[in-house]
Amino acid sequence: MKNIMWNGSGLIPRRKALQIGGTGMFGLTLPRLMRAAERTEAKPGRAKSVIFLYQFGGPSHLDTFDPKPIAPAGVRSHYGVIDTSAPGIQICDQLPKTAQVMNDVTLIRTVHHTMKNHNPAAYYALTGHAPPLDDIRLRDSQDLFPAYGSVVDQLAPNINGMPTFVAFPHVMRDGEITPGQHASFLGKGHDPLLVTSDPNDRRFSLPELSLPSGLTAERLHDRREIQQLINRQVNQLEQSPAARGLDAYYEKTLGMLNSSKVRDAFNLAAEPQSVRDKYGRTTYGQSCLLARRLVESGVKFVNVYFSSNIGGRRNEGGWDTHGFDNTRMYPILSEYQLPMTDQTLPTLITDLKERGMFDDTLIVWMGEFGRTPRINDNISRDHWPQCYTALLAGGGAKRGFVYGTSDKQAAYPDKDPVQLDDLMATVFALMGIDPQTELHDKLNRPILVSAGRVVTGVMA
Amino acid sequence: MTAAEISFRNDVMAVLSKSGCNLGTCHGNARGKGGFQISLRGQDPTADFAVLTHELYGRRSNSNDPDQSLLLLKPSMQMAHEGGKRFSVDSYEYRLLREWIASGMPNDQSDARQLVQLKVTPDEVFLNDKTTQTSIRWQQQITAIAIFSDGSSRDVTPLAVYEVSQPIAEVSHDGMVTGHTAGEVTVIVRYLQQQVAVRIAFVPEQPNFVWSAPEPANFVDELVFSKLRKINVNPSAVCDDATFIRRVTLDLLGLPPTADEAKRFVSDASTGKRSALIDSLLERPEFADWWAMKWSDLLRVEEKTLDRKGVENFHGWLRDAFATHKPLDQLVREVVAGRGSTYEVPPANFYRALRTPFERSEAVGQLFLGVRLQCSKCHNHPFDRWTQDDYYSWGSLFSRVDYKIIENRRRDSNDSHEFDGEQIVYLKESGEAKDPRIDKTRAAKFLGDAKNLEPQQDPLTGLAKWLTDPHNDRFGQMLANRTWQQVMGRGIVDPIDDFRATNPPSNPALLKALANHLVFGTSDGKPSSAQHDKGFNLRSLLRVILNSRTYQLSSNINESNRDDETNFSHAFVRRHSAEQLLDATSQALGVPLDFAGYPSGRRAAQLPGVPSNRDRNNSQNDADRFLKLFGKPPRLQSCDCERSDETTLGQTFQLVSGSLINRMLTTKGNSLESLATSGKTSSEIVTELYWMAITRSPGQDELSATVQFLEKSKDRRQAIEDIAWGLFNSNEFLLRR
Repeated sequence: MKNIMWNGSGLIPRRKALQIGGTGMFGLTLPRLMRAAERTEAKPGRAKSVIFLYQFGGPSHLDTFDPKPIAPAGVRSHYGVIDTSAPGIQICDQLPKTAQVMNDVTLIRTVHHTMKNHNPAAYYALTGHAPPLDDIRLRDSQDLFPAYGSVVDQLAPNINGMPTFVAFPHVMRDGEITPGQHASFLGKGHDPLLVTSDPNDRRFSLPELSLPSGLTAERLHDRREIQQLINRQVNQLEQSPAARGLDAYYEKTLGMLNSSKVRDAFNLAAEPQSVRDKYGRTTYGQSCLLARRLVESGVKFVNVYFSSNIGGRRNEGGWDTHGFDNTRMYPILSEYQLPMTDQTLPTLITDLKERGMFDDTLIVWMGEFGRTPRINDNISRDHWPQCYTALLAGGGAKRGFVYGTSDKQAAYPDKDPVQLDDLMATVFALMGIDPQTELHDKLNRPILVSAGRVVTGVMA
Repeated sequence: MTAAEISFRNDVMAVLSKSGCNLGTCHGNARGKGGFQISLRGQDPTADFAVLTHELYGRRSNSNDPDQSLLLLKPSMQMAHEGGKRFSVDSYEYRLLREWIASGMPNDQSDARQLVQLKVTPDEVFLNDKTTQTSIRWQQQITAIAIFSDGSSRDVTPLAVYEVSQPIAEVSHDGMVTGHTAGEVTVIVRYLQQQVAVRIAFVPEQPNFVWSAPEPANFVDELVFSKLRKINVNPSAVCDDATFIRRVTLDLLGLPPTADEAKRFVSDASTGKRSALIDSLLERPEFADWWAMKWSDLLRVEEKTLDRKGVENFHGWLRDAFATHKPLDQLVREVVAGRGSTYEVPPANFYRALRTPFERSEAVGQLFLGVRLQCSKCHNHPFDRWTQDDYYSWGSLFSRVDYKIIENRRRDSNDSHEFDGEQIVYLKESGEAKDPRIDKTRAAKFLGDAKNLEPQQDPLTGLAKWLTDPHNDRFGQMLANRTWQQVMGRGIVDPIDDFRATNPPSNPALLKALANHLVFGTSDGKPSSAQHDKGFNLRSLLRVILNSRTYQLSSNINESNRDDETNFSHAFVRRHSAEQLLDATSQALGVPLDFAGYPSGRRAAQLPGVPSNRDRNNSQNDADRFLKLFGKPPRLQSCDCERSDETTLGQTFQLVSGSLINRMLTTKGNSLESLATSGKTSSEIVTELYWMAITRSPGQDELSATVQFLEKSKDRRQAIEDIAWGLFNSNEFLLRR
């Protein structure tokens, strides 16, 4: 007898009740709804929004943010180190612009886990939950955990007319689709708004917001009127929760098609050429810019994927530089991943600061693992989950700070190890969401948002 | 109470549970809380005893100065406690724990009495003004009596834990239930490791309520109405003919009736026409398609593991089984005992998709016994009787299944889930399904059975026989409940694969009668004399359900049944499935569908499998994407829950601005074009569109508005498309009512 929600028993605040009605309550049992309502009391967090810059393939920590200049040859990077704007923090000398913003970031140099394959490790990084097994083609089923952003959409959804969670510009796959990119057991309603068109394309726009040829705004209006005319005929049906849920979605869809808010947020052409150039005329660069525009317009969680695949053999794709097929890591890093990183990350940080958004926006930059301390026979590096670096910036993270110390060869954490579960708990805590909040899977089993511990040491 | 009378197991453990200490959200969590961890819901008293008495060198419990024990200071909030105040210093709980600590925290003697049964009264009660015990509107005292191994008993009402299924009632410390809102709740009463469910209905005061006394069509109605009468709920009226033919055709075939079929039915004046329609639909070929699809969802018929040929074999075999009236028990026997070449013996594909012993045991439990065993893999099931021992003994049953991989032409050599080629499913001599706690494979047992399987017994043939035995009540109830849910939209036990004492059926008598009808052909369980009603006949069960007044009730609610969701007093409004929506659009517009890899014109409900994931980017087309968007399951789980009938923004975008529907509306030569060029009047065109899309005539105001729209339009064809769009996006098209 679900009706108690609507009859003013006061168990669910009115706004929440309307929201539930609006998002369609098919299939939800009351206890489930009640729990959802009980748990959504998110405290205001330091980070109003998160931009998750996900580095697929696994960047070498020794050749980016955890260089070991005095390690023996065969371990230490071919690159040198440079001092940064943060006293005492050195990074790879191929990242000179990044070095200038190090006084704005926290490096966690002791992230570690045991997943050696891309999909399970990436799933772990994208959800904060260890996969059931380290299987190279871990299957993307609803047993697995939802993406961070989907959890945010469940617990603290946007009410400003903007989507809560947007992901672009790829779907990542390594053979199979990499799990952890959607809502999984939370339900399709919490999937990200996924944009796979290229923000670097001159004609970039959200496909959903464009009409098929021959369909005009007037016809859309006529169609909606006819639809409503038919719906009014069966008044009782119109009052059912299922119908009200549907109608709310039609309203939202047409609202987005007719209003400029969402369209504007995706309109990269509105940015000055100089800004677009600063981010770099690449898919990833323009994606970082798009992330800033979306956060500016109120989107809460943005996943930007560096690449659609693990890459590593050419100047494209991700960071998986093994040196296979007679390729070599260093030339690829020098020509491709590092320059792109050095153009985008500091630009985004600076841009957010200039707009006064940096304090409210948390940037997370990380991949699924680091790379072997020992340089292999191909003068490249292989997978290394035992210790690597994640970068946090803004949104309540400390500035100019290193958390955790790796050992002499950056092979294992030496001091203050951090698990991916802990990192997730920390991101949620920074967003004001209690990581101990319970979610329920398809079998209605209670599961914590994160079983990790909040790393308070990185919080400003 | 003196120290000598205190039992650690029966008293101290009960206090820890009663105070909520050992819940999963508190110290029962796998990681504990605040450095203190005890077993989940007290399942392991031995371990808990060690924790309480030894860890932290006794700071937690201090015999010399018991009041200074953390075990008392924290829960009484004399010291900060994240879990808040659990009991006060003058409570029974405090005094009992204090007494136990002061007396040196004794363990029980080895011959101490053990709990064997929990007796709870009442088991079911309907509360209204006449029966309530006090002046408060709805109150009911629950009594819990513990029966021990030495034959003694004890009133444990104040020691038991009470949990309410829905937040419309509360239970006091001492078992007094107070209802706040009309409705039904299940109260779970738990003491130590025993739990019992009590169903309580709070029946609203309705001085003007008059039972409408509808005439029952068969035993289904008798049992449904008898419950409704008790809770002062009148069922809705029976739906009209147009609604009925649309509903029953979509439910049985996955398709709406064509305009001609519907008009013919509605104008037919003969009595018994609904019954005749049901009979004819049950013999239509689309019925076998539709039921094969439902079962293919559950049996994981997808291409990556089974490969294309396996998918077509298995699906074809299922379709055949439904087309040829194969009894359901035989179908299940062939599936669970199936082995051999997956190319030669289609049901062998069932185990091909389930690669490990525990995947098999969980799937068989969930599909054919309606139990979700997953919880008991890591700890005893918190809401059911299943222990970890049960879990691993049941898992052993499936440990000998293995595969001879004749060939594997998989495209991704890194992918251990991908198989393309023939395999032989067989039983090897011995297999492993280790219980990690003892690092050994347990002796195999049928779930809930006391004795082990004989080692020489074929476990799968044995399983097939045990499972489908007419006296295995659970199997018949599971199938009856599943069939009921497939047409009614909600199970009598719901979710349908979650049978347990703590999730009782909303109408136990109905479930039992339906199961009896399915298993024996009669609702009272006495074997039937009618030949066609003998044994596990799906159509016979459907015929009983569909001919009932209950099935044919309108979705229009009345004053008394507006809140009812569990007692079938009106039809449930829910979204149609992905396949129904797409096939219905295709049928109405006369535009065949194109799915990747299949000849044009295949209906969505006829697709045998789910294409392998890795093909999606390249070969998936609009129609495939539509199905996924609207919730067609990937078939990676043995659970109905994988299919989604949620609405999402992506779906409405697809319907409003997406390419597929708009392309079908504008396709050359579609039925809209025929209408536009038929020379029919505007009024005739609109009327025909209504019948094609939503199985009724337009109302007067609808007709005049749409005719006017059509007449005023500059482009008649476009105007017809716009009206059709309105119809395909109306509630009546999208929702089942």
